[in-house]
Amino acid sequence: MSLIMPEPDQLTLDNSESIIADLRKISKNVLSEEEEKAAYETDGLSVHRQRPIAVVLPETAKEVSEILKYCYRNNVKVVPRGAGTGLSGGALPLKDSVLVSLGKFNKILDIDFDNRCVVTQPGVTNLAITGAVQHEGFYYAPDPSSQLACSIGGNISTNAGGVHSLKYGVTTNNVLGIEMVLIDGTIIRLGGKNLDAEGYDLLGIMTGSEGLLAVITEITVRILKKPQSVRAVLIGFNTNNDAGNCVAEIISSGIIPAGMEIMDKPLIIATDNFAKAGYPRDVEILLIVELDGTESEVDTLINRVLEIAKKNKASYNRASESDEERLRFWKGRKAAFTALGVISPDYICMDGSIPRKKLGNVLNEIASLSKKYGLAVANCFHAGDGNLHPLIMFDSNNAKELKKAEAFGADILKYCVKVGGVLTGEHGVGIEKRDLMCEMFNNDDIQQQLSLKKAFDEKSLLNPGKVFPVLHRCAEEGRVHIHKGKTRHPDLPRF
Amino acid sequence: MSGTYTPNNQEEISQFIYDSYQANKPLEIVTLNSKPIGRSIQCSQTLDLRKNSGVIEYAPEELFIKVKAGTPLIDILEILKSKKQSLGFEPVDLGYLYNGKSNYGSIGGITSCNLSGPRRFKSGALRDHLLGFTAVNGKGECIKSGGTVVKNVTGYDLSKLLAGSYGTLSVLTELIFKVVPEPEYAETFILYDLNPKKAMEAFSVAMKTSLEVSGACYYSKKNTEFLRLNDIDSSKSVTAFRMEGPKKSVQERIVSLTKIFKEIKEKTVLEFYQSNLFWKITANLECFSNSQNLVAKISLPPTETAGFIGQFCEDDIMDINNKYFVDWAGGLVFLEINDKDPSYLILEKIKKFCKEKGSHITIIKANANLRRTGFFVSTSDENIKILAAKIKQSFDPRSILNPGKIYAGI
Repeated sequence: MSLIMPEPDQLTLDNSESIIADLRKISKNVLSEEEEKAAYETDGLSVHRQRPIAVVLPETAKEVSEILKYCYRNNVKVVPRGAGTGLSGGALPLKDSVLVSLGKFNKILDIDFDNRCVVTQPGVTNLAITGAVQHEGFYYAPDPSSQLACSIGGNISTNAGGVHSLKYGVTTNNVLGIEMVLIDGTIIRLGGKNLDAEGYDLLGIMTGSEGLLAVITEITVRILKKPQSVRAVLIGFNTNNDAGNCVAEIISSGIIPAGMEIMDKPLIIATDNFAKAGYPRDVEILLIVELDGTESEVDTLINRVLEIAKKNKASYNRASESDEERLRFWKGRKAAFTALGVISPDYICMDGSIPRKKLGNVLNEIASLSKKYGLAVANCFHAGDGNLHPLIMFDSNNAKELKKAEAFGADILKYCVKVGGVLTGEHGVGIEKRDLMCEMFNNDDIQQQLSLKKAFDEKSLLNPGKVFPVLHRCAEEGRVHIHKGKTRHPDLPRF
Repeated sequence: MSGTYTPNNQEEISQFIYDSYQANKPLEIVTLNSKPIGRSIQCSQTLDLRKNSGVIEYAPEELFIKVKAGTPLIDILEILKSKKQSLGFEPVDLGYLYNGKSNYGSIGGITSCNLSGPRRFKSGALRDHLLGFTAVNGKGECIKSGGTVVKNVTGYDLSKLLAGSYGTLSVLTELIFKVVPEPEYAETFILYDLNPKKAMEAFSVAMKTSLEVSGACYYSKKNTEFLRLNDIDSSKSVTAFRMEGPKKSVQERIVSLTKIFKEIKEKTVLEFYQSNLFWKITANLECFSNSQNLVAKISLPPTETAGFIGQFCEDDIMDINNKYFVDWAGGLVFLEINDKDPSYLILEKIKKFCKEKGSHITIIKANANLRRTGFFVSTSDENIKILAAKIKQSFDPRSILNPGKIYAGI
């Protein structure tokens, strides 16, 4: 499919061989054969593929620094890559780029229970951090569904969330420090084992910056002690509105569940077939609410949640009586994407965030869009924080269907913005939602973000073509913000 | 153009900054003048934001409030209280520190300083609760970022950058904050007479449990006389742990803590009312009420704090005796430095210590001379300062917004 990326630099392409030779002087791990590069040509958004000039797998921050310095001096674009599980195409290589994989940064450097933190290299997986500390009853809180495979460095780049972010926050709330390398090779350490930034919150701006500002080479995250007691409850409803109201009422009653997830009927059936989770099959929509704390606190909260559910016409409920049962409840939800792969040849996963009270509206809108486009859709939501993942099913062998699926997805996101939500809650903008940025931001907003990018990367060599619309796109679509009838800075380049 | 300009709304703020940008004239930003913090600014124009005030939208069931940045924080807290909600970062009232009486200042002011209270180590800093904003940059352009939803990774997270930027990047005009339910109940467990090292160890022990401590502070023996609460013996050092949540859960957790510290004989429990008072006094730095000396905060890895105290706060053998207290379960030291040594050599020593330990010191109260000539926040790496200068330029290319407030020359 067509995707407009920044024009490749012919000089760089012509010099590919000498660039590869120069990189080999810096790192012993340079991949330049086509079959070697094939594994890096795409990420979790696999409809787009592109091989770079070379893939480099540095082993130290100093090596990263040398590579970036070289690319900076020679005006070569750089695309950083973690585990490649991202769903928005943030790690898609450019034809004239060098892909820097952090795959060899795979060691945990320091486990510090006294300061409740772990120092790790960025290529370590999210789940491995919990794995390294769980013998003492600790864990790392953000838990994206891909936590078995996704890297902690990638988590920082997208500010990854998960099913427990309602209570425990997303990545940005759980990172204490990083070491990063700027495009000119400068190595900087931000934060560490203490709290809050000296001066500007550079750590805050780096988190969620999708590899556009610097390459991260070391990370300090905070770890938490596991709660004493955790229980989950399944609640079934017959209508979207009842489920939406129940979610809103739980939150406004003052309860902050550890997790609160919603699945619709197609996913209930698909996940139950796949994972044997024991879900009720005669409900239209299923809510999973997890509560944690001391034993008596959890029991009290479960009862309060069940009362609210009853008030909102719940047709089914079941509270977990053992940890095995609780994990079985989650097994289905966590396998949602895999389970859907069984029933549909292809699907795309959207990621809007909306105000909780609009949940019923948005589900109804998705259902009518599904009819309009003639494509099936299944929905799972991080209901507690209004983050939805509609999964649009299609067959990639039918070129028209992919186009339709993408238009369907864009319509969902536009509707999210219309009801007061945002384009992406946790997957990132990447290339996927890049051209929708003008739905949320006007020209001044985007110019400010581009200026900030230049403070880190004046030549725009780091991960170009991502997050922001390519040249002229917003202006072409007629969405440039006009202030009092005139643009304030006609001399500024419009993208 | 000189003197004080008090615009009524965002449009007027934008126009004033646009004109100042065109004329290349710097300006100092104030709202309620509650916090003389940061390096002093020398310029002829003052932009007073107090009229840009009021709640725009409060959605208790959506857990957010959207306000104009000049709104007095006390008004916001009262509105939230009416719905049994609050700001999760536990706002700090520095009025006591500067003038001996309560003055929260404006929501924009506290945001610009990223000030967070005792709950910070559990619930995050102010910046973690700021969901979105509208502001005017140094060119007079209105910019926005974030939104009303908690999960949002659309574009750079500028809310983080603007919180704690002391008005040097943009003038905040509208803010959207996440709100949280007020804790149903709270109690505070107190251990008496621990020395600093033992107190820091006690923090470490408690923080390694699943008891969800939501406040942990330490007052040394010489700094407890202001704790005038019925149930506190203020002749001894105080090591305090707060528990919040449903009453039954709080009481169960207090019992658990009591068991953990059964070897320590002298202890007590503050019930709800006294517990709330105790943490208010702590959040508001009331031990430094109307201090005439320099006051600084030092953010440290908790395991370095006992060493820091021995070197800079209290040591009988070395005759070091500065007033201080420790918050954030050992992660933050507030230190008063008296004027015996007018050249403040101790500050240079603290800066060196911080650099070695990967931490930093921020001066929160200083005399006029020091605010003019001294540093405000220590720097661990000159490259951070170089990057900060570039970031400042990207928002405020002619350096007209609070120039030099954080770093001299930036």
